[in-house]
Amino acid sequence: MKKFLIATGFAALMSSTAMADGIGVSMALFDDNFLTVLRNGIQEQADAAGLSVQIEDAQNDVAKQLDQINNFIASGVTAIIVNPVDTSATQAMSDAAAAAGVPLVYVNRQPINVDTLPDNQAFVASDESESSRQGFIEQCNQWKAAGKAEVSVYVMQGELSNQAAVQRTQNYYDAMEAGECAVKVNVIDQQTANWSRDQAQSLMTNWLSTGTAFDGVLANNDEMALGAIQAIKAAGIDMASVIVSGVDATQDALASMQAGELDITVFQNAAAQGGGALDAAVKLAAGEAVEQKVYVPFELVTPANIADYLAKN
Amino acid sequence: MANTSHGIGGLAYDPKKRTRPPELNVLAALVLIILAFEVLGQLVVGDSFLFNTRDNVDTLFNEQRLQIIILQVAIVGIIALGVTQVIITGGIDLSSGSIVGITAMVTMSFAQVAVVNGNPNPKAIFGDAWMDLPVIVPVLIGLACGLFAGLVNGALIAYTRIPPFIATLGMMVAARGCAKWWSKGNPISFPTESYAAIGKGMWPVVIFVVLAVLFHLIMTQTKYGKHCYAIGSNEQAARMSGINVTGHKVLVYTIAGALAALAAIVLSSKNLTAQAGMGVMYELDAIAMAVIGGVSLQGGRGSIIGTCLGALIFGVIISGFTFLKLDAYYQEMVKGVIIVGAVVLDQWRQTKRGRG
Repeated sequence: MKKFLIATGFAALMSSTAMADGIGVSMALFDDNFLTVLRNGIQEQADAAGLSVQIEDAQNDVAKQLDQINNFIASGVTAIIVNPVDTSATQAMSDAAAAAGVPLVYVNRQPINVDTLPDNQAFVASDESESSRQGFIEQCNQWKAAGKAEVSVYVMQGELSNQAAVQRTQNYYDAMEAGECAVKVNVIDQQTANWSRDQAQSLMTNWLSTGTAFDGVLANNDEMALGAIQAIKAAGIDMASVIVSGVDATQDALASMQAGELDITVFQNAAAQGGGALDAAVKLAAGEAVEQKVYVPFELVTPANIADYLAKN
Repeated sequence: MANTSHGIGGLAYDPKKRTRPPELNVLAALVLIILAFEVLGQLVVGDSFLFNTRDNVDTLFNEQRLQIIILQVAIVGIIALGVTQVIITGGIDLSSGSIVGITAMVTMSFAQVAVVNGNPNPKAIFGDAWMDLPVIVPVLIGLACGLFAGLVNGALIAYTRIPPFIATLGMMVAARGCAKWWSKGNPISFPTESYAAIGKGMWPVVIFVVLAVLFHLIMTQTKYGKHCYAIGSNEQAARMSGINVTGHKVLVYTIAGALAALAAIVLSSKNLTAQAGMGVMYELDAIAMAVIGGVSLQGGRGSIIGTCLGALIFGVIISGFTFLKLDAYYQEMVKGVIIVGAVVLDQWRQTKRGRG
């Protein structure tokens, strides 16, 4: 054990770039569109405050991420920001930082030990249980405004092994149960299209071939919403007669919304999460108290406010 | 070389022992599956699978469903055509899905429009000089991409003599890496009108059918096709009889790469976007289509018609399950059973025929 520690310490000395102070950031993955926006949010906030940050790529490797954190601790950073690779492997990270007395902030992904974090650790993210819920409630309002009291919908799920797909689908039912939806919703069928536009196109066409009348589609992400729209358009159905909602506010989705096809999407503010994480880290390093769970709200995007989002991701 | 079990070494040919062509069995399976969905449809959801039951449409069949059954397998079907000839030579190609990924990314980069809804293209990869190019540019670049990947596969297999499984596994991993690297994981979108026209409506099906007819003729009528079967049945014998096995293998994998690239072009055009994750698992779906259609993984046996029927079985199953509103979990389970079941049945039929 001792040898291992010495070896780790040596490796830490060898691999960490010299850094007397500043903030260390370990990102789960660099080549991900969303996480890149988040990473830039951290960088921009740091530049504005004149702070130095060192951002490392854990390349989706849990072990590598823990090494990076230990490296940061060894090189004496004032605080650490972690975007966890695996949310169930965060206890060791919290322990390492707590033992060294270095403040730690988790960003975007909720750590498993979120309820037992030490005082100088925090969590900044958006609340997934809000994501598709906001879009769905708006969808209900639009149906009501169109004079409908009862609607029939199709639900398109993401990959079934994926937590976000399960949560985003659950959100629809939670909102219905809580009476937040202004109209009565009948789900005709619910299937997975694995987050994919191509599979969503096929799935939607299969649904259309049953000839069942429907009032809208609830898709777990924008890619699937766009696939559904392409299929509905190909079948010659007027896009004004159905309401389609997605999540993410991708550029493709915004373009589709400008063309009058996609009705609703929800924007997760990656840059604000990054900036929020940096703020929390700076405050913790200065010994100030912060909220241990900071939620950056999801933002509803409709044709009414689309202009605000065209340049955001 | 005295391999009498192959039937050449002195065994008398008995026409009575010759059973019906294996494609007929696959066709029978297809009809059976359709019938099963028709019956289940009447019992479970009270609707017809194939026939039109809507009042506002005046057709005998549910044409929309017939269309989607073929449309949803046309793109993987194009890959399966290439995979079929590879498997007939006794090889395997695991790289086609990844070739789809990298080709879609590269092709779409050269097929972008400069202006989207009055704004500059938010997904632009290259500068304005590379926008709004004529459709032939991205298509040729895409095909070149697939040809190159296939050529590398073929050359590795033919010259270094490593097993096709390993060579194409390497290509599968490396090409997927290239696809992610190309735009650092970002999706590429907003193609020109002319590029988007390639995959519009039923065009993927037209392209698939034309290619299927072409490759059916190639495999049955040309020297190239005969050599594929010869190499797959007995590579040594093929070499002895003067077939250029090395060169032929390079050609087979290069053609498979080109077909995967073509599938990528149709796919990215149909979806109006290219993503690094496109085509994941397509190679396995393509192999499964061929295998269900009676193409033997031992090589030397199978046909393009069989593969097309295999693709149709896939399409019918996907549409049938959605029609029955069956949960996605069960769909995958049943799909697995059908793939294994098809091969077991085929094997069983083979040994029965062998024993006479």
